[in-house]
Amino acid sequence: MLTACGGGNEEASDNNAGTDGEKVSIEFWSFWGSGLRRDAIEEIIEDFNTSQDEIEVEYVYQPWGDIWTKSLASIAAGDPPDVIVQDINSVQQRAEAEQSTNIQEYIEQDGNEMESTFYPHLWETVFYEDNAYALPFNTDTQVLFYNKDAFEEAGLDPETPPATWEELEEYARALDVKDGNSWERIGFYPLWNLGADVWALNADNGVSWFDKEGNVKINTPKKVEALEWVLEWQDYYGPETINSYEAEFGNGVADPFISGLVGIRAQNINYYTNLLENAPEDFNFGVAPLPEYEEGSGNWSWGGGFVLEIPKGAENPEASYEFMKYLTSTEVQEKFGLNSFDIMANQEANTNLIEHPDLDEEGQMIYEMADRNLESTVITPVPLTAPDFSPLVNEQIDGAMLGNQSAQEALDAAQASVENLVEQNQ
Amino acid sequence: MIENTASKQMDQVIPKQQHFKSRKRQQKLNRLITYLLLIGVSIVLLAPLFWMVFTSLKPMEEVVKLPPSFFPETLQWSNYTETIESFPFFKYAGNTLFITFFVVLGNVVSNSFIAYGFAKIEFPGKNLLFSLVLATMMIPSFVTMIPQYVLFTKIGWVGTYLPLIVPSFFGSAFNIFLMRQFYLSINDELIEAAQIDGANHLFVWSRLMVPLTKPALITIGITSFNGAWNDFLGPLLYIHDEDMYTLQIGLQTFQSQSSTQWNYLMAGATLVMIPTVLLFFFAQKYFIQGMDLTGGTKG
Amino acid sequence: MFILIMEEVNQLAAAVKQKKSSSKRKKQEALWGLLFVSPFIIGFLIFMLGPMLFSFYGSLTNYNLTSKMDFIGFDNFTRMFTQDELFWKSLYNTGYYVLFNVPLTAVGSVLLAVLLNQRVRGMSVFRTIFYLPAILSGVAVYVLWMQMLSPTSGLINTVLAWVGVEGPAWLFNPEWTKPALILMKLWSVGGAMLLYLATLQNVPNQLYESAEIDGASAFKRFRHITLPLITPIIFYDVVTSTIGAFQIFQEAYVMTESGTNGPANSLLFYNLHMWNKAFVAFDMGYAMAMSMVLFVIVLGLTFVNLKLAPRWVHYGGGRNG
Repeated sequence: MLTACGGGNEEASDNNAGTDGEKVSIEFWSFWGSGLRRDAIEEIIEDFNTSQDEIEVEYVYQPWGDIWTKSLASIAAGDPPDVIVQDINSVQQRAEAEQSTNIQEYIEQDGNEMESTFYPHLWETVFYEDNAYALPFNTDTQVLFYNKDAFEEAGLDPETPPATWEELEEYARALDVKDGNSWERIGFYPLWNLGADVWALNADNGVSWFDKEGNVKINTPKKVEALEWVLEWQDYYGPETINSYEAEFGNGVADPFISGLVGIRAQNINYYTNLLENAPEDFNFGVAPLPEYEEGSGNWSWGGGFVLEIPKGAENPEASYEFMKYLTSTEVQEKFGLNSFDIMANQEANTNLIEHPDLDEEGQMIYEMADRNLESTVITPVPLTAPDFSPLVNEQIDGAMLGNQSAQEALDAAQASVENLVEQNQ
Repeated sequence: MIENTASKQMDQVIPKQQHFKSRKRQQKLNRLITYLLLIGVSIVLLAPLFWMVFTSLKPMEEVVKLPPSFFPETLQWSNYTETIESFPFFKYAGNTLFITFFVVLGNVVSNSFIAYGFAKIEFPGKNLLFSLVLATMMIPSFVTMIPQYVLFTKIGWVGTYLPLIVPSFFGSAFNIFLMRQFYLSINDELIEAAQIDGANHLFVWSRLMVPLTKPALITIGITSFNGAWNDFLGPLLYIHDEDMYTLQIGLQTFQSQSSTQWNYLMAGATLVMIPTVLLFFFAQKYFIQGMDLTGGTKG
Repeated sequence: MFILIMEEVNQLAAAVKQKKSSSKRKKQEALWGLLFVSPFIIGFLIFMLGPMLFSFYGSLTNYNLTSKMDFIGFDNFTRMFTQDELFWKSLYNTGYYVLFNVPLTAVGSVLLAVLLNQRVRGMSVFRTIFYLPAILSGVAVYVLWMQMLSPTSGLINTVLAWVGVEGPAWLFNPEWTKPALILMKLWSVGGAMLLYLATLQNVPNQLYESAEIDGASAFKRFRHITLPLITPIIFYDVVTSTIGAFQIFQEAYVMTESGTNGPANSLLFYNLHMWNKAFVAFDMGYAMAMSMVLFVIVLGLTFVNLKLAPRWVHYGGGRNG
């Protein structure tokens, strides 16, 4: 595009005028606009630009959420950026709609190198009709955070967190503190920061609302039981208590977990950055996998993440791929993780971080936990037959939570609605 | 000023009345009720704003305290300095002002001009065209968003302020409709008289109608200022260069990084609001002068 | 409005017939008219017509923004009316909102404007205060209201508790989400109020004074002097706010945290559903079909408004709209 109209282009004053003419320049969009992630990515790009003299990357920040509306408009207009950070769940959907560039040929040029770089469950998500359309960048997973001091106080062993749903319930009862009618400590409540869908998936052998073949699996017996279990928790503490605590979550300083009002919480592993920022230094916590539905059923958990993609119509796919490859290399991934505490898609980078000298014990513990948990973490890509199905399921679950219908009724209705949507789209 | 003249007039009228004292008392009572109502409504309308401003001055510990306090116990002015420092506030404010200036100019001139044609001139196809004006209001904007974006890409305007500014010089349906309603309530005799004196429509519009419709023009000015000042999706879609961002985008960015820091969020919102508040406070004086003018010609 | 259009066509035909006899003056007048409305025509042709025609055609296709645009006839429409549960849900939610929002804000803004039109000292301050809420818009307001509506720590329930009322859970209870939004919108009626005020200020003061002298009560003065004079603006306000209310989107999008549609889809408004279809499912053809249906609904309502208008709208200029 015309760079002449941009006034304050600071990089223009750099003194590498000699090689300028031959460089391919590519534009990279992400939503990392500030703080640690922005500093990290800018440094990484700077390194890349100086490390070679063929590709010059320009970093463009776009606000979260809106970045995708904007990129879609630019793809439709045929004038997209060269590389975009995209949601890992919709890679196939974009590939099907021809919004992204097939990068299979570049990957094949590298032999099997790429396949072994990433965690297998992430690598799976980038394929559409046996061709790759993206490279995974980072990910996350859901785990339990628990307050070790509270464990000790309640006579529980802080080194053995609950391993099954049954144990979780026992632990929670031990951690509960009630004074008259008001709760002074809530042992555990499953739906703070986690959806009922994760518990359903955890109970149902890692199968989400859709199975891998695209069949609708909403009203399976295990999932109905999971929803019933969740409803029991709600009955136990009462909606009012839950609401008033919920209002406080995400308040940083007043976080009920940090202030000791909640003993265990199920949460995205990224919550660690929150603890780093807001918890006092002597705050003593542990992380554990989500418990198993029953012994041996597996610590199934759910995750998401982001990928790097070349939009359809980008002019220099080869150079863009080079840059993407650089961003997913072990060294760069390690650096990004170290600065942001993100769980990286590159396996080696994560394992390096487990023992990284620049991380303290807790930081290392997080990466160890993540590395272990990713084995039983499921990514739930948007089903191509019903990309916008989730409001249909949520409406029924909300109905059950409000006491308007039973768990079985809710999931039966959701199953029918989603099947209907799938049919509409065929 | 005006209130004074009004009450002077009243003083002249009132002595002619028989029930002088009871009327006077009645008026006093009316005034008292008026004030009570004004103050009551003000409190209701201001409460959320005070809540916002007070939150913007509280330290985070106090924001999340239960039960919530209304007045801040400690004033943390640094919320404001930190907000201003966290993104190029003044640069973005300048950009926003630049866009807003042209949008307001375009809206005021074009809609006044176009609506005159719809309200005061007979020509074939007028109703058909006006139906079209109304129709353009009924298409949700994001349906035409992508085709429009494609159009602006093709003519090379993406990355500039042109897509945000230029369309406002071609009238907007809501404002054409509004101006037309105002024109319709102005007596035609005035125009006919001017035309007998040899004035053409351009003259009638610029010399007679523009002064007469001043309050409506100021209203359009204020609302389009507001619209442009607070526009988010437009700049977001069309501006690529971070140096060219507007305040709303800056604020949004700032929000996404401090989503739980309500005090900063509210400080940002207050800062963005201040220019519009000032504008309205000063514009509304002209607003009243405008009224005076129309009242004068009419009476 | 279609009848209006038909009338227009007849007139045009008549105009053609009379062409020979039409005076030079009439022709000149028509040219002036075209000159004045030409910016709109040009703008319409450049910026609107293309996208509108495109949307119309798109509604008959499976357009997905980037790769598909096959003609599928009325499939999108049959799907919408016979299969899509959320279409009806969104229509219901939007209808509910329009039904309460439009009359409430119209009444609210007229009342505020009348109050501001009183001649008392210090009015400029009150004017500014009354308009303030309308100045604020965008994400910050919605976040502010999310805080105000918080069931436990929000200002609204705190105030309700003072008078012994236990406030509802607002945005957490599907029955109260829409009232919460209506309440929020009522707070910022300043924009419409400004219009009424501008008109009210045009009413010669003498009219009120003489009515007062004749012993007309405040209500009578309002009913017989004020109300008839502001009918053109009420008409404008009702028509445009109906159109606007049907398009409610951003409030719900932000306050439900990026389109989760509120508890039990209670804030799934028409445009939100359309947005989800267009940008979540990439089913732009379907979204465009939805926009056509919305267009017809709003067109119908506007037509009813236009037809009813002569019964109650009084134009000072002596011409009918």
